Amino acid sequence: MRSEILYPGAFPMVRIELAAGEHIKAESGAMVASSSTIDIESKMEGGFLGALSRKLLTGEKFFFQTLRASRGSGEVLLAPTVPGEVVVMELDGVNEYMVQKDGFLAGADTVNIESKMQSLGRGLLSGEGFFILKIGGKGTLILNSFGAIHKIELKPDQEYIVDNNHLVAWSMTTSYNIEKAASGWVASFTSGEGFVCRFRGPGVVYIQSRNPGGFGAWVKQFIPVSK
Amino acid sequence: MTTITPNALCFGDGFPASGTPCRIQVEGHGLTITCVLDAAESRSESVVFSDLAVSAGGLDHDQLVVKWVGPKGERTLYLKNADVIRTFRQAAPDQLNAPLERAAQRVRQVRHRNRTMWSIIGGIILAVVLGLWFGADLLVELAVDRIPVEWEQKLGESAYRDFLSGQEVMKAGLAVTAVEEMTHRLVEQIPNNPYTFEVTVVKSDVVNAFALPGGYVVVFTGLMGKAESGEEVAGVLGHELSHVLQRHGLNRVVKQLGLVAVVSIVLGGQQGLAGLMKQLGVELLTLKFGRAQETEADLTGLQLLHRAKIDPAGMISFFQRLSEKDEGRKEWLSTHPMSHVRAERLNAELAAMPKNVPEPFTFDWAKVRESLGAQPVIAP
Repeated sequence: MRSEILYPGAFPMVRIELAAGEHIKAESGAMVASSSTIDIESKMEGGFLGALSRKLLTGEKFFFQTLRASRGSGEVLLAPTVPGEVVVMELDGVNEYMVQKDGFLAGADTVNIESKMQSLGRGLLSGEGFFILKIGGKGTLILNSFGAIHKIELKPDQEYIVDNNHLVAWSMTTSYNIEKAASGWVASFTSGEGFVCRFRGPGVVYIQSRNPGGFGAWVKQFIPVSK
Repeated sequence: MTTITPNALCFGDGFPASGTPCRIQVEGHGLTITCVLDAAESRSESVVFSDLAVSAGGLDHDQLVVKWVGPKGERTLYLKNADVIRTFRQAAPDQLNAPLERAAQRVRQVRHRNRTMWSIIGGIILAVVLGLWFGADLLVELAVDRIPVEWEQKLGESAYRDFLSGQEVMKAGLAVTAVEEMTHRLVEQIPNNPYTFEVTVVKSDVVNAFALPGGYVVVFTGLMGKAESGEEVAGVLGHELSHVLQRHGLNRVVKQLGLVAVVSIVLGGQQGLAGLMKQLGVELLTLKFGRAQETEADLTGLQLLHRAKIDPAGMISFFQRLSEKDEGRKEWLSTHPMSHVRAERLNAELAAMPKNVPEPFTFDWAKVRESLGAQPVIAP
């Protein structure tokens, strides 16, 4: 498979070329258009229980789409639901990433996706919930974000602080602690940051330039209240 | 070219931030690290055990982190593969045993802490679920207590007006005067009554009467036609007024609304609930009270009759008669299942009450029935 990001920026689309017989998995509803040689199948990744746990625990879709070039080579156009950048990564079979629940757009069939339970503190405070996606394996992985994606590269023991609402994905070699944004509780919340994640390298952290929750709250004020 | 299957990640100067996949081979003297630089190139490096420092690291503290300073600067390895870690521990010399054990200890600690935390959370969730399961009625009562009477009236009124708009309401006449007299005598006996009761007679063959939250009561002429005396109808009225006074309707609504609503009432935020409750108003008309609520309404209704000096015997006999299997009385049966136990309980309650002399109503029941077009009662 070969992928290319069309219209990079806020409203990107990903074109994936599939050779005959190749297939990819994508988030349910991600397909925009495809060649007539492509068949769409709905698949419960990880079996019924895996899919159920992903749906119940992470809020991710129950079914993933499988897009298969079953009748000859062809191309697929994919797009995320929210406006924002997409990033194409090549997984090397060793590196694994934790991905926030809306971050997955598509991946090669050799990419493994499972839901993983976070520790209590992280689950309660990270803003990502108790269960997030753990993605590993080998092959192409396409993530999407709300706003632009920024990659933070951390050397061993290098620290970096990220507002928890801006996290997209982070490698399993990093570690992080949740802390108050400021030294005092009041200052933490009045600063508008609340909790932050102090990441420690080595590894990479992908962050998004917009906060989906914050945007939702901003939009809410313009929605007329139904009588 | 031989393909290398990487089993670790190597970090350091000149390597990408996400690490370079590499293959670790544990040998007698130390480690040989073969890094996959790209598809065509790989580079090997050997390091002796004595140069290594080990610790636990990674997101879940479950990876073995191996550090050393080589000719090209500091290098860090992240090992996750259990087989490699095991081989490493077996081959490592004594001076690495202590740090390896510390790292293993750290992994065990983290795992143990996570397990303990989740067991506690599981326990709490179970306790909450069980608490809600068994304490739901208490929660509902708490919530109902917090709803102001005005709210209840608004809720009942909208359902009441909706219902009446499709019915033939009797505005005047002997039946209306009679029901007004009964209501007046009963309501007079309610201490600290927060409700303004509104009782409407609706022309219909349905043998029933019902009460809505807030004090709105409907009596069908069908029911009045079946009654052999005013006292019997007054018994039904006493029962229905008790449903209102005990806030049974509201109780059922809150139960239907579910836990979220209960919590929001208990914790405040009544505004958003108003719309929801109005929607439920229609459902109120088909409301069926639970057995416990029926019993409670029976008993308090009976007491009300007693205080109002209306003969309560009429209530019991009427309920029993209506509960006897009869096609035309299905309506009453479905909402007021009458059992012998229920009748016996009422009789026992009545026997325990101090005797008083009933005061008859001022109306002539035979004439009231006649005005409704009911067949005259034939004495057995």
